Amino acid sequence: MINSVRNTVLSILNKNNYGYISPSDFNLFAKQAQLDIFTSFMSDYNEQINKENSRISGTEYADLRKAIEADIDDFSVTNPLQLDSSNKYFLPSLTTTGDEAFFINKVLSYTELLANGTTDGTVVAENQCVDSTADFIEDGVAVGDIVALIADSIVEYVTVLAVTETSITTTGVLWTVTDIPYAVYRPTKKEMERVTHSKITMLENAPLIMPKTDWPAYTQEGIRLTAYPSEISTVGRVVAQYLRFPREPKWTFVSLTSGEPMFDQSQLDYQDFELSLDFENMLVSKILQYAGMSIREITAVQFGQADEQMEKQAKQ
Amino acid sequence: MYLSQYQYYDNAGQTPRDKNWGSYQYVSLYDIVNNFLLNYTGNHSLVNNEERFKVLFHAKRGIQELNYDAFKEIKALELEVDDQLRFILPSDFVNWVRISVNRNGLLHPLTENAQAVTSKAYLQDSDYDILFDEDGNALSPEFSELDIKRILGQAPTIYLNSGNQYNGHLGYNCDGNWYFGYRMGARFGLQTGTANANPTFAIDKKRGVINFSSIMAGEIVVVEYISDGMEGGDDSLVSVNKLFEEYIYAYINYCILDSKLGVQEYIVNRARKRKTALLRNAKIRISNIHPSRLLMAMRGQDKWIK
Repeated sequence: MINSVRNTVLSILNKNNYGYISPSDFNLFAKQAQLDIFTSFMSDYNEQINKENSRISGTEYADLRKAIEADIDDFSVTNPLQLDSSNKYFLPSLTTTGDEAFFINKVLSYTELLANGTTDGTVVAENQCVDSTADFIEDGVAVGDIVALIADSIVEYVTVLAVTETSITTTGVLWTVTDIPYAVYRPTKKEMERVTHSKITMLENAPLIMPKTDWPAYTQEGIRLTAYPSEISTVGRVVAQYLRFPREPKWTFVSLTSGEPMFDQSQLDYQDFELSLDFENMLVSKILQYAGMSIREITAVQFGQADEQMEKQAKQ
Repeated sequence: MYLSQYQYYDNAGQTPRDKNWGSYQYVSLYDIVNNFLLNYTGNHSLVNNEERFKVLFHAKRGIQELNYDAFKEIKALELEVDDQLRFILPSDFVNWVRISVNRNGLLHPLTENAQAVTSKAYLQDSDYDILFDEDGNALSPEFSELDIKRILGQAPTIYLNSGNQYNGHLGYNCDGNWYFGYRMGARFGLQTGTANANPTFAIDKKRGVINFSSIMAGEIVVVEYISDGMEGGDDSLVSVNKLFEEYIYAYINYCILDSKLGVQEYIVNRARKRKTALLRNAKIRISNIHPSRLLMAMRGQDKWIK
């Protein structure tokens, strides 16, 4: 879609010899335009809910809420959170999960920890890990349980296929080395409730509703979340479902000797827009506004604004 | 989740085998909170943007209230009375229903003693001044005089047991009143409410014990009591009879709406009425009033009274 958007933008700008924008400028405007649209999803969604509650929204093909939900869910990812120390876990980030979280929708935790430790042996061919200090049978580990482990600094999950006293055979080919931190859980997860800092102390002291592994809670502080109860402190126990920021669009090209850059999507850093085709018009309008400002051409800005307004009205 | 027959009868081969027996009558606390959040909250519901812990709180409070009167789930604990004539209240005790002594395999219900049977005491000097320790606290003996007399069996009592002045004397009952011979002097009878030869008890709630009259040391006592249904804090065991399931949802709904800012009064009232009506229905249902039971009771009309 990115090439089509760029061509349209250039075509409009060139029509009256308004000007030209370079690929790097286009990429900057494209990133900004995509972000503008992406961040407006939440307010659009809320507006749609309000319309539904006011009975001024339709159903079936007129159910715009579904469409917005689909647009939002395109950016939904579920990843385990990396353990920092004790009951603190790192929030999603480029270094821990590979993407930045825009909105953490829900955080889950495994309710029952069966065993945890560090492997001291492996049978690679059988996908088997060994911990000679463990007694997995005594711990109640059974087929179907979940093993979380750290592989290449990332939390991975595999499923138990067979158990002996000191070894577990799993799915996946991840037990390639020893000294791997692991934890074994029953597959059941419970949603952790986000609690404000002003409430968490009182909540911890309220016997009727204090956080337990069956009613877990968390607070957020900087780049970490703190899990409650504090026994939630093992590898891979916390999983987050969140909306990640869209990746930066990148219109890539090969420079020709005659000067005109030619689109080349085989470049390693190529990145198309992540919004659906539905948003092509709006992307063009928004980029036109930024480009118009850049080349000091108010007509292009006004055209972009008017076009965006029409697009919004059409969506309503 | 529904259980298979194998899971129900044999707990799928796990111990304890009887874990799931009768479980179908109940809905768990987890299901209640989950169902409520799923079906009664959200963008298009009266309740939205409420924390889960609030829903959990109201759910548990509702279950506690039901345990106090509506549920007919009476617990019982059997213990031997110690030599200080005490029975420590069960750990989940809220209120008692019946206290009986187990003699020869028969339970004899005991009467609550309306007299004071226990008391705290302070040490006093010969001028009746209270004695204090260096921290300014009044000094107390281990037992008060009242307690000592009760423990030694020397306390007089209005009940018809060894401590009573009428104990062992023959009397006659006329028009519901007991009369005794001239040896006792002119008596106008005793209170039939206290005319019970069994030992008596009084509950000291603050100290967490049941105090018995003197002859109870070493006796086996069964305390039937009600709890609050919180199962010692183990939420996996907290449940509600299915007859009350809809009531619990209505109760949570009402409690949240009642305490929420800006909810119109008619909505709060609607929720309150729904909650009350559902409780009434559930109480009738759990009373198990049905024709066959009534029929059995009515058959007593044909019995000849001698």
